[in-house]
Amino acid sequence: MAEIVLDKVSKQYGDGFAAVKEADFTIHDGEFFILVGPSGCGKSTLLNVIVGLEDITSGEMRVDGERVNDVDPKDRNMAMVFQSYAIYPHMTVRQNMEFPLKLRKVPADEMKEKVEEAARMLELTEHLDRKPGNLSGGQRQRVAMGRAIVREPAAFLMDEPLSNLDAKLRVQMRTTISKLQQRLGTTTIYVTHDQVEALTLGDRVAVMRRGEVQQVDSPRMLYTHPANLFVAGFIGSPAMNLLPGTLDGHQLSLPMVDLDLPAPVTDRLESGAGGEVIAGIRPENFEDAELVGDREAPGATFTAHVDVIEWLGSEMFAHFEVEGSAADSLTDLAADLEKVAIGVSGEGKAEVVARLDVRSEAREQADHELWVDARAIHLFDPDSGRSLLASPDTEAKISEAPALTKD
Amino acid sequence: MSAPGGKVTTKDRVFWGAGIVIVVVYALIPVLWLVSLSLTPADDLGSGGFWPENPTWDNYFGEEDPAKGVVNDDQFPSALKNSLGIAFIATLLSVVLATFAAYAIVRLDFPGKALVMSGALAIAMFPQVSIIGPLFNMWRDLHLFDTWPGLIIPYMTFTLPLAIWTLSAFFREIPWDLDKAARIDGATPFQAFRKIIAPLAAPGMFTSAILVFIFAWNDFLFATSLTSTNKARTVPAAITFFTGSSQFTFPTGQIAAASVVVTIPIIVMVLIFQRRIVSGLTSGAVKG
Repeated sequence: MAEIVLDKVSKQYGDGFAAVKEADFTIHDGEFFILVGPSGCGKSTLLNVIVGLEDITSGEMRVDGERVNDVDPKDRNMAMVFQSYAIYPHMTVRQNMEFPLKLRKVPADEMKEKVEEAARMLELTEHLDRKPGNLSGGQRQRVAMGRAIVREPAAFLMDEPLSNLDAKLRVQMRTTISKLQQRLGTTTIYVTHDQVEALTLGDRVAVMRRGEVQQVDSPRMLYTHPANLFVAGFIGSPAMNLLPGTLDGHQLSLPMVDLDLPAPVTDRLESGAGGEVIAGIRPENFEDAELVGDREAPGATFTAHVDVIEWLGSEMFAHFEVEGSAADSLTDLAADLEKVAIGVSGEGKAEVVARLDVRSEAREQADHELWVDARAIHLFDPDSGRSLLASPDTEAKISEAPALTKD
Repeated sequence: MSAPGGKVTTKDRVFWGAGIVIVVVYALIPVLWLVSLSLTPADDLGSGGFWPENPTWDNYFGEEDPAKGVVNDDQFPSALKNSLGIAFIATLLSVVLATFAAYAIVRLDFPGKALVMSGALAIAMFPQVSIIGPLFNMWRDLHLFDTWPGLIIPYMTFTLPLAIWTLSAFFREIPWDLDKAARIDGATPFQAFRKIIAPLAAPGMFTSAILVFIFAWNDFLFATSLTSTNKARTVPAAITFFTGSSQFTFPTGQIAAASVVVTIPIIVMVLIFQRRIVSGLTSGAVKG
């Protein structure tokens, strides 16, 4: 049980590469906290810093109010689950789980009891005397979890624990981990590059990019009120559509349609915002014009030439292109998001994905009337990438969000 | 014995079987000849047959004349003791030092790492005969001449590079996550090494141990130059001091018998350690 405070923690390597830049947030006691970001964003380094495998270059880390910058990893009482599991191959499952207890000189009978309880919890009882080499991936993963649980640590740290499992097992283990964390109530820090894991598991999520924490918030807030373009593009699947636009008062001109922004949006608009903007629209904020339930809702109808339809039974995605692309000013960001968020399709065109009701009669290679919801629009500054809309409860946060460096 | 997934055909079997037989025969003929010689009485040596006509243990135990058996030779038992002691101590020191060195080279980032590795390689390639003269003078000044340390030190020095290279290859195979996991589980760096890494590198240690032991056991150059009495003279050197039954007979039989005797510990060593050199000991540590 512990509250972990990172106070402007930075990690710089000998060659000058700054892997973590001034990470500054608090992980509350008992919280399930996620560090998420694309590969190379510094999330694993930050985890290693927290557990003490890497030194802190500057800043301070406190656990329950005590500075732990110089505490050896063995004395931090944190347990870690590695992506590679890192099970000791020459020991049986039981010996693996006993190892941390033996080092703490826990009496034999107490040790046996703890190991067997953890094994029961993780359904490993019948495998206790087997060597890890004979176990399946999922079982090894559970052994690694078991080794962490028996210690009753101050915090669990997990470094992409599910990424080596196949898709089905991953979903299953995700639930297991979530339940386990609720049951044990131990502060957990979980690193992943998968935004779905981040949204489903986390109480709060820190989104990182290039060593910088972009936003720390609940999954819901990250989704509905991304602080900048990066968070907007990273969170959500399919990704948010980002389009160039011009804002004049409450009038937003998009490549395919002009929108009259309703009061709930304009009220949150940063004062003085106008001119060139980047507009973000989530796929679910489009709809087949004929199937819009609330005809009075603020929005606009336009005609799109649908290129591709993806029909998934419960939902349907329509892909179409619009003139003008935000990609030129966002190539840097596009690289980080692996070109998922910003559909670049040829010269000066942007690809847009719309999620439609399955009853829609939209056809491939045909024009179709679509409707866009003006209430759910996101607006970003094209230079800094910051959101131009204040989130309802925390107005201060917007100006604090890091600008997206362009290099 | 065939390509992965392929079927073992009769042709494969014949090819590999014949190959194995040729290699084994080629390797064993000199050994068999040595055994044959050691069992041949001195008078029959000129008969020319491969197998002795009147096999005898005379050269080993001196059934007719006890003084003629190598076991009863006044210098052979002490030479055997020296050989065993020196080779074991040199092996132990070399493997322990090489383990630490290799672990540091693989895991730590320090200036001059490449220099250490290439320096070690340079020593391994250094012609040993060129340092015998200076070493002889130095050892006499340092009172190391004709002592156990006087041989252990050069053996250790010349086998360390090989051991370091072998072991660092093994350490490189061990996932670093295991170190980290042990550290987080509450182990000091040394505990992590002793309880997790060293057991996993054991096959590497046994491999280097065998190589070092064979080098020390078989060495003739240092043994003959840096010793003068039974105090430290090892078997390969001692054999050259065997005398024939008379001034005019060359002790071929005894030399062969002594050679067979000194071959036995090597064979035993290899057989023991061979079973420990199991690859794939690290399987199951990480996903795979």
